[in-house]
Amino acid sequence: MPRIANLIFAGVVCLIASMLLVAVWQSGTRANTHAAPEETPQVAQLPSEATTTHPVIIRKPSGPPRIELAGMDPQGRTGSVACSTCHAVRKPNLENVSAATLDEFHQGMTFNHGKIACYACHNPDDSDALRLADGKSVAYENVMTLCSQCHSKQAESFAHGAHGGMNGHWDLSRGPQMKNNCIDCHDPHAPSYPKMVVGFKPKDRFNAPLDDHQDHEGAESHDDH
Amino acid sequence: MTTTKNPSRPSLPIVENFTRRAAVKGAFATLGAGAFVAAISPLRQAAKNTTAAEFMQQHYTELSPEQKADVIARLEAETKEKYGADVTIADDRPIPGTKFVYAINLSVCNGNGKCVEACHKENNHDRDTNQSYIRVIEMPKGTMDMEKGSTTYTGTVPKDDKFYLPVQCQQCDEPPCVDVCPVKATWKEEDGIVVVDYNWCIGCRYCEAACPYHARRFNWKKPEVPAEEVNPDQSYLSNRIRPVGVVEKCTYCLHRTRRGKLPACLEACPTGARVFGNILDKDSNIRWILENKRVYILKEELGTKPAFFYYFD
Amino acid sequence: MSSITAPPDITEPGDNESHITSYPKFIGRSLWLATEGSLAFYAWMTMLTALFLVGANAWANQVAGGMVGTNMTDQVSWGLYIANFTFMVGLAAGGVMMVIPAYLYHDRKMHDVVIIGELLAIAAIVMCLMFVVADLGRPDRFWHMMPVIGKFNWPISMLTWDVIVLNGYLVLNLHICGYLLYMRFLGRKPNPTWYIPFVMLSIVWAISIHTVTAFLYCGLGGRPFWNTALLAPRFLASAFVSGPAFIIVSMVLIKRLTGVGGLDHPIATLTKIIRVTILINLLMVASELFTEFYTGGSHVSAAKYLFFGLHGKTALVPWTWTAIALNISAALLFLWPGLLGFRWRPLLVTACVMAFVGAWIEKGMGLIVPGFIPSTLHEIVEYVPSQLEWKVTVGIWAFGLMVFTIAIKTALPTLKHPAEH
Ligand code: SF4
Ligand code: SF4
Repeated sequence: MPRIANLIFAGVVCLIASMLLVAVWQSGTRANTHAAPEETPQVAQLPSEATTTHPVIIRKPSGPPRIELAGMDPQGRTGSVACSTCHAVRKPNLENVSAATLDEFHQGMTFNHGKIACYACHNPDDSDALRLADGKSVAYENVMTLCSQCHSKQAESFAHGAHGGMNGHWDLSRGPQMKNNCIDCHDPHAPSYPKMVVGFKPKDRFNAPLDDHQDHEGAESHDDH
Repeated sequence: MTTTKNPSRPSLPIVENFTRRAAVKGAFATLGAGAFVAAISPLRQAAKNTTAAEFMQQHYTELSPEQKADVIARLEAETKEKYGADVTIADDRPIPGTKFVYAINLSVCNGNGKCVEACHKENNHDRDTNQSYIRVIEMPKGTMDMEKGSTTYTGTVPKDDKFYLPVQCQQCDEPPCVDVCPVKATWKEEDGIVVVDYNWCIGCRYCEAACPYHARRFNWKKPEVPAEEVNPDQSYLSNRIRPVGVVEKCTYCLHRTRRGKLPACLEACPTGARVFGNILDKDSNIRWILENKRVYILKEELGTKPAFFYYFD
Repeated sequence: MSSITAPPDITEPGDNESHITSYPKFIGRSLWLATEGSLAFYAWMTMLTALFLVGANAWANQVAGGMVGTNMTDQVSWGLYIANFTFMVGLAAGGVMMVIPAYLYHDRKMHDVVIIGELLAIAAIVMCLMFVVADLGRPDRFWHMMPVIGKFNWPISMLTWDVIVLNGYLVLNLHICGYLLYMRFLGRKPNPTWYIPFVMLSIVWAISIHTVTAFLYCGLGGRPFWNTALLAPRFLASAFVSGPAFIIVSMVLIKRLTGVGGLDHPIATLTKIIRVTILINLLMVASELFTEFYTGGSHVSAAKYLFFGLHGKTALVPWTWTAIALNISAALLFLWPGLLGFRWRPLLVTACVMAFVGAWIEKGMGLIVPGFIPSTLHEIVEYVPSQLEWKVTVGIWAFGLMVFTIAIKTALPTLKHPAEH
């Protein structure tokens, strides 16, 4: 019977060979799919050629902060005042670098933004605006210009969508994109991103044992059979 | 044994009492058949939920435009009937010249899970199980070994010694899940998205075993979504409410992204860790990231070539 | 689903009767014969029917209510069904251990009873197909898997290969058994050209079914526990333990219950085969474990979970150690030469049962399930089959045993009076 044994052995070899062929063919098709994107660079330019009709809208702060008045005036009116209302008559303390030394109105505020002084960012000459490192005044609306002086890496990432949240469209030919600005997420006086609490978790059956699936037959069966 | 040997054909015994025994046997056979029908009667319930049209429906890629329209009309009516919700099911096709790629900045991600929730709502997942396509792993700093991670963390995040790794379908360029499917119910489209035809999948779950990223979910039961919570903006290949017994997966929200919008998980991310775009567009955000950040992919050694990148900065 | 498809009518018409009339007669007579028996036989069949009905009912409930009735999860997405499927493929392939001595080594005595192995293959494949269907989320869409009318992802998907080889093996064995029994019915001598080539093919095929089934798992890169080249040889080795073990037990029973003679020599041959294969299997398991544990790293976590538990989760540990204890003690028993003595028949049966159960655990709960634990994201989700899964499984086993019993009864005349060829 050795001949038949040989035949059978040959059969097994053929089977394995045919499966190997499939494996090779398979990797061939894979290589093809991989190559496909590289073959279509012309198509690739389509989106950039298309006129970007829609803007990237970066949200801006509405303007310099206003201080809400605590009480009402004798006429019963509430209202708010600008920073300059008080600061016009006060001499700026250019040296101050900490919240601890603040008294009166700013007392008790949190400040945790490196070793910079208040007037590194606030403008001593115009308390309703900010100032850049070179002394140029910059409006509150453009606070991002100010932040970017130090945080250029983040600013660069932001410019390329790699920092900061966004909404809307990835494809500007179809719709606009809305982006946050720095102070939407970072409090400029304590800029580290706040802690959060996890609110939503998938409820796996193993996470919520037994009581969660009493409604079907599997429930009683957790003992070994 | 009531058989005797017939000398002419030794192998085939002749039986006595043929008719009586035949009657008894017939009775038992009938009884057995009756009991069997009774035993499988719950199937009638299941059959009611499957219309003939659904049973006969062809594979997505073989439907003519008219058939597709019929199928979609039927699905919309079924959603109205079963879930009480008015929905529009579109058939979003890939935009020519796009290949979608996702990236996550792990230095920024704080594991708050808003993306998980957004996915849950956007994609009409079962409310009971809080199902979602995204899973976030809390990992100790200083390792990339998922074995040291945990998906069940809760409480205040981020913890000081941890980083957070959200995982969803990586839309692999060489998807093992597609290779193994015996009926071609799942495939990769031109814009890179791996989709499932929920009306073709037979629910063998081979793809679930093959996916190295735990990206696939099986509908162990009929998904329950209250009518007012159903997201009416649906697509055939993505977030329409899935039938029971089939596999589903993240589609990069193709019902949004193929209309130019950002995926729901990205919009929901409060930290801005997520970046999405068309890698074939030289000026896209995603392209900039791949060119300027040191990105890595999960389980590179498996050769799945994910279209999903992670980076720290 | 087990409808005995008629083997192709390939012989020349008989001298006095055409096959058109004699074939139905043959089927009718076989069925009649198969349902004849003692009270014990009826009790046995009634019990199997009852169990099968319980299983059918559980399965119908599973289809109606969704697979939430099983304890499978997205993490452990295959469970008891696929474990049994894998094992049954092995059992089907194991039958070939009778065919090889009978046809390749011309073992005359084995040749007389080789049909037992072939009938076992039929019953086992029928069970395999039932287990696959039980595992489907949408059995109503089964037709999607059929070539031509569905969409068959061949040759890329290993599952399509499996569908082909399993059905092919079923048809082969149905043909071989059907032909031999039919010839017997006609009182003719079987013509070797009509079945010997098929028998030879079935030997290759038997190896292929289990190889392809192993490829189902070992081709998945994302599952390190399965992703080993040793898986297919291991499957074969354990199949050549469980198959012969089952056959030995059935032969001892057949001898007891029906007085068929000439079974002692085949029993001895099969025992000698198990003596070798059980050691080969243990050797392969040991080398697998050595590689896992000595190398360490993340690949070892599934093995660690299996043997010692991981992070306090230990659901599989008792299973594993039971399997190891069974396998090792069975191996020791088989090594003892005295086991073949007539006095020790009960011990032989015990050893076979131990080897059988050991292989069942090793391939099912010990191989399919730990492939999913820890999951690909390294979550540890345990799996213990639900009651519904047990019911369906028992139902399918009952059905398989029913098929096997009926098949053996049909073949009894052949077994009792082996034709001289
Ligand atoms: S991540 Fe998983 S499901 Fe997604 S394409 Fe890759 S293998 Fe498929
Ligand atoms: S579960 Fe569905 S999509 Fe996944 S492999 Fe099976 S048929 Fe294909």
